[in-house]
Amino acid sequence: MSRGPAKAIEDITEGFAKHQYICSEQISTAVYLANELEKPILIEGPPGVGKTELANTAALYYEKELLRLQCYEGLDETKALYEWKYGKQILYTQILKEQMQEVLEGAKGLRESLERLSKFEDIFFSEQFLEARPLLQSLTSTEGNVLLIDEVDKADEEFEALLLEILSEFQVSIPELGVRKAVVKPLVILTSNNSREIGDALKRRCLHLYIPFPDAKLEREIIKARVPEISKRLQVQLVDFVQGLRELDLKKLPAISETIDWARTLIILNADELNQDLAKSTLNVLLKHQQDIDVVQKEVPRLVMASDG
Amino acid sequence: MERVLTDFVKALRNVNIRVSPAETLDATEVLEKVGFENRELLKNTLSLTLSKTPEEKEKFSTCFNDFFREQLSYEEATSTELPSIATEQHANSELANQLLEDSYADVQLSISKAGEEAEIREIKYFTQRSVFSRRILDIMGVGNLEEELAVLGKINRDGMPSDLEQQLRNELTHLRERVSDYVQQQFLLHGDVTGEQLREQVFKSMNMGQIDRSYLHEVHSLVRKMAKKLTNMHSRRKKNFRRGKLNIRKTIQDNWVNQGILFKLRWSYKKVDRPKILVICDVSGSVGAYARFMLMFLFSLTEVVSKIRAFVFSSHLGEVTDEFKSSNLEHSIESALSKYGGGSTDYAHAFSDFVSLCINEIDKKTTVVILGDARNNFGPEKAELLKSVYERSKQVYWLNPEGKYRWNTGDSVMNTYSAYCTKVFECGTLEQLERVISTLLRTAI
Repeated sequence: MSRGPAKAIEDITEGFAKHQYICSEQISTAVYLANELEKPILIEGPPGVGKTELANTAALYYEKELLRLQCYEGLDETKALYEWKYGKQILYTQILKEQMQEVLEGAKGLRESLERLSKFEDIFFSEQFLEARPLLQSLTSTEGNVLLIDEVDKADEEFEALLLEILSEFQVSIPELGVRKAVVKPLVILTSNNSREIGDALKRRCLHLYIPFPDAKLEREIIKARVPEISKRLQVQLVDFVQGLRELDLKKLPAISETIDWARTLIILNADELNQDLAKSTLNVLLKHQQDIDVVQKEVPRLVMASDG
Repeated sequence: MERVLTDFVKALRNVNIRVSPAETLDATEVLEKVGFENRELLKNTLSLTLSKTPEEKEKFSTCFNDFFREQLSYEEATSTELPSIATEQHANSELANQLLEDSYADVQLSISKAGEEAEIREIKYFTQRSVFSRRILDIMGVGNLEEELAVLGKINRDGMPSDLEQQLRNELTHLRERVSDYVQQQFLLHGDVTGEQLREQVFKSMNMGQIDRSYLHEVHSLVRKMAKKLTNMHSRRKKNFRRGKLNIRKTIQDNWVNQGILFKLRWSYKKVDRPKILVICDVSGSVGAYARFMLMFLFSLTEVVSKIRAFVFSSHLGEVTDEFKSSNLEHSIESALSKYGGGSTDYAHAFSDFVSLCINEIDKKTTVVILGDARNNFGPEKAELLKSVYERSKQVYWLNPEGKYRWNTGDSVMNTYSAYCTKVFECGTLEQLERVISTLLRTAI
């Protein structure tokens, strides 16, 4: 590649910004490296900082299809990788009963019938009966795609083991069909909310990106990109207020997605600046626990004052 | 290039960031792409490949800044280089010439080279610093320079030292400072840590009562690690143990292969609740020193195991589960101690409080853990209260911080109580505590 990596990273930052995703240098470096090294990215960070959104935007930016696998407890390979179409198999055996009889006609004894049958046995375990789930779809697609494995920490630890082969070799082994290798290696993005520690084996195979809450400058840019109709003054006040909130001891800190929601709420209410009453009455957009709201109610005057200065 | 990287990886390992060889390979690959020119880019990329948790990222950032500081100081220094003073006398030794003529960066480079020759990377302890400084200076040829200075001193007997001598002396002092800085920096990167691991080992096997309070913070992170490891291990175990209902859909699907004859049964795995544990902790004067660590472990357990309830007592007993959940460690330990701690032990009272508080919650799935030395100040024992708890619960564990040889001496009534315990353990060090909790989590399912 002739362009320098620094330039390429800048391009990514700009390209993402066109899709209203403002990213820090860390993030764009991760995307660049993932593409160059063909390695998956494991993204960690508090909820609502745009982990999933990053995958969406990457798909838009590279103009590729996004395949999403939402993880949950009890997720197994039949939901994630592939499954045989049992219904179809049964239906076909019923329909083909007569043909089978023809095949078996004249066969003497069990052994001979079995020998004849065994020549056809694999038919029912061929591509036609294979139901590809997101992981296999992603590997077999010829156009290349972005594979998002969302909230991988919600899945069981056994599931991680299943991912290992796919993430490091970009291949899966299906016992009946053999090894399937990726035609075009997908860009893989895994997200985790850290509800449990991800295994070392999985971490080792990934680039590890941690997205923290953004600083005031970045957050202002994000608000500007996402809610362009907001007035400059309100935007500054709003971000300062939220930044102040994050310093309090709350059960759930407001993330970027909440800030954006709040900005939209204020736009609907036709506000051009933040005052105490307005802040108090709309706190429930930002905070999701009654306890937190109670705590913040008392702090509102101070925070509004601070955001004014 | 590879040498720099492997050194850096070693420095990372020293600050307890786990870097596997495969990750080092990844990093090499990354370096080929981005090179060393752009510092910020280098930092971002290495951080992506080498550090894999938020805590590690933070450590990585400091370590990176420390490690690559050397390169920075070259640039700063070269700009402030002084013009060398012209003198009629000429320096003879190699080092003297180098000091007088070479740029700051070149000298730094030869310090690094000498450092490598002196195997500075092997430095382990604080006390080795002066040895290494001397060794580096020797390799650089300070001996010759000193001889030369002595000669120069003799020539200029008339009192005032010549310009050359003065300059060389200044340069030498300066060089000594720089070498000692260099050694210090290398020590921070390569040495310190073995110390950290050593300390962890010591803490683990040390009697908890003897650990000074000022180490509380370090021990806490250690205890947390232990608690987390334990619960991780055991929460996984549970999955394989318990089987839920028959999953008819899956069973039929899987058995089409057998023409619908149900050979292989499939189960729908039931989500297994974590064990229900009630922990009672003695925080009276006699176990005061242990209480802190017991509480710390308790706190760490409540962080990782959800269904745990914690009680503390000295004479009367109270629940501290909520306090442990809401605030930070030091705060909750202090509040637990100030509320309930310090008094003289009264097991009878504490048990009767416990029974009236939550006897109805104890069922055949509950594990009760008691942390205490069973020293009752010759008061009533009321073992029947413990018996009622024992009969209702799945198991009762007693962890005694005292050595076994001291049980049942003086006012200790361990024998009476141990009759109503499923098991009693001696539990004086963190290592013992870890082992006990491991058994506990395994059997509390």
